[in-house]
Order: sequence, then C-alpha cells, then structure tokens
Amino acid sequence: MQNKEAFIEVIKGNEGRIYKVTKVYANTREDAQDLYQEIVYQLWKSFDSFRNDAKISTWMYRIALNTSIAYLNKEKRKGNHLPIDDTLINKTVTHDTLKDEQVEALYAVIKKLDIVEKGIILLYLEGNTYDEIAAITGFSVTNVGTRLGRIKQKIISQIKK
Amino acid sequence: MKALWGQMSAEVEKQKAITDSLVIKMTRAGYRNKISKVQVPETIGAFFCAVPVLYILINIQQLNTWYLLGCGISSVIILFLLCFLSLRSISKISGVNISKNNYKESLLQYSKAKMQFVSAQKVNFYLSAILMLVILPVMSKLIAGKDVFKQTDVWLYYVIAFPFFYPFSRWVFKRYVKIVSDAENILKELE
Repeated sequence: MQNKEAFIEVIKGNEGRIYKVTKVYANTREDAQDLYQEIVYQLWKSFDSFRNDAKISTWMYRIALNTSIAYLNKEKRKGNHLPIDDTLINKTVTHDTLKDEQVEALYAVIKKLDIVEKGIILLYLEGNTYDEIAAITGFSVTNVGTRLGRIKQKIISQIKK
Repeated sequence: MKALWGQMSAEVEKQKAITDSLVIKMTRAGYRNKISKVQVPETIGAFFCAVPVLYILINIQQLNTWYLLGCGISSVIILFLLCFLSLRSISKISGVNISKNNYKESLLQYSKAKMQFVSAQKVNFYLSAILMLVILPVMSKLIAGKDVFKQTDVWLYYVIAFPFFYPFSRWVFKRYVKIVSDAENILKELE
C-alpha cells in the first residue's frame, strides 16, 4: 500500500470511533476483537479508493457499519486472532462510577435496538448531522428525522423501565 | 443522552492504545483470514462432492441394471446441485460491497441473501435425504458388488433411519423459521 503512514495516522486518529462501533455491535470480548480487526482491514482495503471529496469520518462510518452488519451475517469461522491489547476494546469510560453505570446502561439499551435503529442512533450520538446520517445510511433526511424521533422515544421508555 | 455520550467520547478519545505495528498486524491478519475463510470450506465442500462423483462416473459401467444406473445418475446430479446451490448462496452473502454500499443497501442485500440462503438450505436438505436413498444401492454395488434391491433386508435400514430423520428435519426448519422472520422484519423496517 502506497499511503501506509497516512493510513496509520487515520486509524490512530479515529480509534475511538472504531471502539464505539465495536462496542455497539459486538456482544462478547472475542467478537469485539474480531470486529475491530475486521474494520481496520476493510478500511485498509478501501483506503486507496478513498477520495478527499468526502469527509473521512463519513467514509469511515460507512465502512465500519457495513463491516459490522457483514460480521453479524457471516458464520463465525476460526481465523487468525491477533492478541489485541485489551485497552483497545476496554477503555475506561469516565472517572465517575455513576456516569460509568449510566454509559453502560445506555450501551445496553442501544444493543437491544434492531440493526437499522442501532446504526442511526450511533451516528446521531456521534454528532453527525441529519444530512451526514442520510449520506451514510441511504435514508432520506426526513426519514432519518422521523426514525430518530421514534428511536429516542424507545430508548427513553426502556430507560424508565 | 447526547451529553453523556459526548463526555464518554471525550474520555475515550484521550486514551490512545493503538500502535503503528498493531495497525499493520491487523491488516495482515485480516488478509490471511480472508484467504483461509474462502479456501478451506470451499475446498472441503468441493472435495466431498467431487470424490463420489468421480468414483461413480469412473465405475458407471458396473451399474448394470436400469435401476442402479438410475440411482447412479441421480446421485451425480444431486451431488452437483448440492455443491452449486451452497456455493451460490454463500457467494451472494459474500458479494456485498462494503466500501461502496450505504447502510440501507447492505442491510437489504444481506436480508435478501439470507432468505435465499435459507431456501437453498431447505432444498439441500431434501436433496440430501433423496441422496441418502439413491447413493446407498450405488455404493453397495460399486464397493461390495451387491445389488441391494435383490436383498429384502435393505429396506429395513430405510425404515429404521426415517424416525431419526423426521425430528431432525423439524429441528432444522424451526431454526430456519427464526432466520427468515428476522430477515423479513429487517426488510419491513427498511421499507
């Protein structure tokens, strides 16, 4: 690959984003490691075709989310598992126990959403605009707004339970 | 909710854990996984189909009655179909373009491919049951030189095997119903 250094910088600059995607989509520690590795591999595969006319985060989310659904749809087969450092997939959330619990509760509620809703709420929480969410997901901007309203209601009712 | 996520994100961003060498290792391991994932199951599947097909075709002149010849030809056709249907459904699931598709397109393709995969598995299941029936007389003739149709006790094996086949088929189809209903729900959600 020609732009090895550039690619490494992109991954290092976005490791938090990849971490959050794996946290939302993977259910076990092993799955999270596999998914993290798979996302990095898929990003590397398409890095040369990435054009600077799109935001790097848009390109990254598109591939990370597609890789996650591909990962969930494929049969698990034993491949090469890298002994990934636990800090990559087990980051300290905050330094406040109550907030840590709240974050874990939020992750748990998001994990319960269906796969369409999961992607949309993750992109929203990550600070993407409705236009960006529409570009990544393929839904219209209006549809994104409607769906987000429904998802928020669903999350609130789950948290209240 | 968004504020809490923002605080967590800020904290996560501060914790740098990935290294240059780890990124390179991950891309290399991913590449090796792709090779082994594609090659191993396809090679095993092709081997299990090709060996009996070749064996029957090479020895087809030994199937000297019309019913044994019929069983031999049916076995070859079924083995080909089993191989073809499995590979086709797997290639549809693997054929989703991760770098070009948006989320909706990928979900649509996966849900449709999954439903086709289940249909192919059902067909495969019935074909395998027929294969069990037709390959037994063929192999019996080719390996042991016996014409099982002239030995009345062979039907006993079929009678004994059927009660085991029935609950197994019920279990298999129950599992498929869940996969199809999940895929249908996603398709509805995307409409």
